[in-house]
Amino acid sequence: MAGARHQNVMPGDVITTGPYRPEEHTVLDGKRILATAVGVSEIRDDSVRVVPLAGMYYPRVKDFVIGKVVSHTSLSWELEINSCYVGFLPASDVFGRDFSAHADDLTSHLAKGDMVAARVANFDRTRDPLLTVQDRDLGKIDIGELASLAPGKVPHLIGKNGSTIRAIEESCRATLAVGDNGWVVITADDPDGLLKAERAVRMIDEGAHEAGISERVRSMLETG
Amino acid sequence: MVHKTIIDELTRSKITKMLGDGRRADGRGMEEQRPVRIETGAIPKASGSARVFLGNTEVVAGVKIQPDRPFPDVGDRGIFICTAEILPLAHPDIETGPPNPAVIELARVVDRGIRESGMIDLSQLVLEKNKSVMGVFADNSVIDVDGNLFDACSYASTAALLTARIPKWEMRGDAPARVEGEEYDAPVTTIPASVTMAKIGDSIVVDPNQDEWSVMDARVTITTNSDGNVCALQKGGSSGFTYDELVRCSELSVSVGSRVREQIRAKGAAVRGDG
Repeated sequence: MAGARHQNVMPGDVITTGPYRPEEHTVLDGKRILATAVGVSEIRDDSVRVVPLAGMYYPRVKDFVIGKVVSHTSLSWELEINSCYVGFLPASDVFGRDFSAHADDLTSHLAKGDMVAARVANFDRTRDPLLTVQDRDLGKIDIGELASLAPGKVPHLIGKNGSTIRAIEESCRATLAVGDNGWVVITADDPDGLLKAERAVRMIDEGAHEAGISERVRSMLETG
Repeated sequence: MVHKTIIDELTRSKITKMLGDGRRADGRGMEEQRPVRIETGAIPKASGSARVFLGNTEVVAGVKIQPDRPFPDVGDRGIFICTAEILPLAHPDIETGPPNPAVIELARVVDRGIRESGMIDLSQLVLEKNKSVMGVFADNSVIDVDGNLFDACSYASTAALLTARIPKWEMRGDAPARVEGEEYDAPVTTIPASVTMAKIGDSIVVDPNQDEWSVMDARVTITTNSDGNVCALQKGGSSGFTYDELVRCSELSVSVGSRVREQIRAKGAAVRGDG
């Protein structure tokens, strides 16, 4: 099977021996590229990676994430982003350039437990992920319901060209803010729609690795 | 750094808003306990053991019974000690190392409920007065945390004790000696059942799950015995209960507790010789 575009892999499995670049959850051993996680391998262009079935979120620059404020210093907030890394949101990002650590109270804008839609502005091996809310549709989330799924399954929730998420939003009359870190905020006026959307997210989380999951979600949405 | 999970504001506002309408976020009734599942004999090497699921909370209790020196002030009674431990895999907040005050409280509340109900007739566990008695140790290990560990540990310990077989020991000369192959049922007089209730705003909910536990203002754990009498009570949290609320809670502890007690009793009847 070595060389197939998608295959289920266990840690230590040889994914390919071709001239590819080893990316996430893979390691190069001589000419062989091995998996380091349980998941589905993916060969795309010149790179190989494994999408793990479970696990925490590994931040990438430009990712859209949903974070939870857990603490703050005099200069920045600390956000939990379902990762082994803590997201940092600098106070100047919210207060603007004339932010003063003495005069401004960070909790007046974001307090412990508040949910925030943010984007990863910078992240590498030398620093924790730096977040920003300086964009359209970013900032504090006041209403909605929090759901979560494994970060590797977020693409399944979105679907091809956003087809799955659009189907959920239309049939449930709901809006889903899907963070790349696996946290999803669902807002809907109709409580039944909300429950249905939650059920769809849960279905995808439980069965994203199985064949025909999009069709099963669609039929659930149609039958109610 | 000890990381403490902070409940997000979205969940908090959802719980409080729904309680305002008389509903709970997980769809239960205000006075409805999560499903309780009890398996006995979970640890083959223990004298008695039980595994209890309270919703997604999971606890394993094991009972070890062996001769011990009695406490100096009660030389005519056996020893009963209940402990509790939360395994680090049970919840992200839990760290290895010495127990924190919440875990110490957990062990004490479970211990007190069983001790004060007089479940085990300790006077029957004396080998020689003031010298040697049988010690009963009930150890709880929390496998999965989803709120209300008090009740889960209490049910697990009670079921483990009820189904425990006490190895027979007798005094030979100065020292206790094991009578090989002989054991008997634990001398049980009553079956305690603890019920924990949380106060969130003005609402009182039975058996709070982890989310409700994180937002509650106060809690009370009431243990009743088989006669429906209150025998132990523990109140926690910064807020308080009014007189009427406490009366309501004690009534709830009797009605909810009696259902769980029947479940534990049935498990015991399947194992014990006296039915």
